[in-house]
Amino acid sequence: MSGYLAMTRTEFRLFRREPFSVVFVLAFPLMMMMLLAAVFGNNQADAHKIQNGLLVWRGVTPADYYAAASAAVIVAAIGLMTLPITLAGYRERGILRRFKASSVPPRALIAGQLTLALATSLAGTLVMAVVARLAYHTTLPKDALGVAVALLVGAVAFGAIGLLLATVIRTSRSAQGIGLLLFFSLWLVSGTAPPRAVLPTGLRDVGGALPLAHLVTAVQNPWLGFGWSGADLAALAAYAVVAGVPALWLFHGE
Amino acid sequence: MSVITVDHLRKTYRRLVAVDDVSFDVEPGEIFGILGPNGAGKTTTVECVQGLRRPDGGTIRVLGLDPTTQAAQLRQRIGSQLQDSALPGRLRVAEAVELFAAFARRPVDRDELLARWHLEEQRSKAFDSLSGGQRQRLFIALAFVNSPELVFLDELTQGLDPQARRETWDLIREIRHGGTTVVLVTHFMDEAEHLCDRVAVVDGGRLVALDSPQGLIDGLELPSVVRFSTAEPDLAWLEKLEEVESMTRRRDAVEIRGAGPVLALVASELVAHGIVPRDLRVDRPTVEDAFLALTGRAIRR
Ligand SMILES: Nc1ncnc2c1ncn2[C@@H]1O[C@H](COP(=O)(O)OP(=O)(O)OP(=O)(O)O)[C@@H](O)[C@H]1O
Ligand SMILES: [Mg+2]
Repeated sequence: MSGYLAMTRTEFRLFRREPFSVVFVLAFPLMMMMLLAAVFGNNQADAHKIQNGLLVWRGVTPADYYAAASAAVIVAAIGLMTLPITLAGYRERGILRRFKASSVPPRALIAGQLTLALATSLAGTLVMAVVARLAYHTTLPKDALGVAVALLVGAVAFGAIGLLLATVIRTSRSAQGIGLLLFFSLWLVSGTAPPRAVLPTGLRDVGGALPLAHLVTAVQNPWLGFGWSGADLAALAAYAVVAGVPALWLFHGE
Repeated sequence: MSVITVDHLRKTYRRLVAVDDVSFDVEPGEIFGILGPNGAGKTTTVECVQGLRRPDGGTIRVLGLDPTTQAAQLRQRIGSQLQDSALPGRLRVAEAVELFAAFARRPVDRDELLARWHLEEQRSKAFDSLSGGQRQRLFIALAFVNSPELVFLDELTQGLDPQARRETWDLIREIRHGGTTVVLVTHFMDEAEHLCDRVAVVDGGRLVALDSPQGLIDGLELPSVVRFSTAEPDLAWLEKLEEVESMTRRRDAVEIRGAGPVLALVASELVAHGIVPRDLRVDRPTVEDAFLALTGRAIRR
């Protein structure tokens, strides 16, 4: 326990001192939210717009839609970029070996990273909600607990995916490239950039199965007052297990 | 009972045999040196012993534990300074010590540790901004953070200035007097000679000699070199001495190689012939000479 606390404190310190990671992980989703909300507006008239037989904005205004969806993007950015880049860098520089040789177990490092991911996600979401509110008069989360639970499950799922990436990608440079590619691919097809209703059918179906789309719905539903989305939370949990078990096993075996 | 027992250790990387049939024991409270040229397999050996690499053959016992299956238990009781490792760049010195101490079952006093390794002034400096020698001192300090019974120091004084090296040697001796066993990997002959009770010489993955530094030298019966200068033209009578192996001369400077008490014999013979050189001296064989004789090559400097 004291080890876990010490590691978590360390990871928070390092995160604070590494401005780039903060900028990208928080500023990018925030900027995109601002941009998309500005483009599509906050008009009730758009709420029931239908395209391809689907509600484009899920029955809310575009600004409301993006405020909630962009909170999910923060989690994905941490899981797909911050985590694998950090851990691959630790391996590359011999930091993992240094830790291992001094009885710092991998699970303490992973737990510290996950705690950091969750705290950053929660703080980023808060900022997102407040900024969207001030700039576009969007609704604040109606069910804050529901949003927090979705972020927790999302952080675990994306944490597991990030850990798996960190075990298969050997260098922090390739982690940057691959992480960025995965992040933008997901971002484009998960309803976080164009709404999923406007995507061609095939892309929509593929995107819908990917973890970010599940996280978007899992965050949007309680935020917008649609209740918790058990199915999406379950899908995220499944991702957490499928990616997390081999990742932990591989990470421990190193 | 031995602290470390290594029996027929073997480790290969694909087709390269890095460690080949190496066996040795380390006794409690000794400073045990591992000496060898670059790529000899020193790091591989000590990292197998610490359970950081998995051997392909042989058995290892450390403090009664098997490092391949009981690594976690073992690491609580050993300290380790690795040859290649790092810390997160923005982690500060005192924070690193604090972090590592949090995982130690018997942590030492952190301030005392920083003071002992002269890191107080650097305590709030980030790892990335430390000089090479400061990093090295931090790694050595971290090796002692868990009050280990046994420490592994791979390239102990790499990057340290001469004064820091001497101080480090003194501290290592002090730590040994406290009962800690020390395994020291080194490139430096003087380090092996001054610090180690016994030295294992490794070359090409094989153990080529294992003895005390003096034992290594004596065992090889390496010649001493006696030097002096004289204007006396004919010294042929010196070469007749049984202990003298060879004599070379450049103008007045004479160099005699020989075994055993060659200095005393040469000296008395010179005096008997009325020659009393002011600069008579002898160079006794060193660990370096023994090393060269054993491995047939010079070591990295
Ligand atoms: N992880 C590895 N993968 C492949 N080969 C390796 C690995 N580690 C070491 N080797 C090889 O094994 C041999 C022994 O390496 P080792 O690091 O044990 O030598 P060393 O005696 O510590 O050398 P140095 O004095 O340079 O530190 C070398 O030929 C090296 O290239
Ligand atoms: Mg080495």
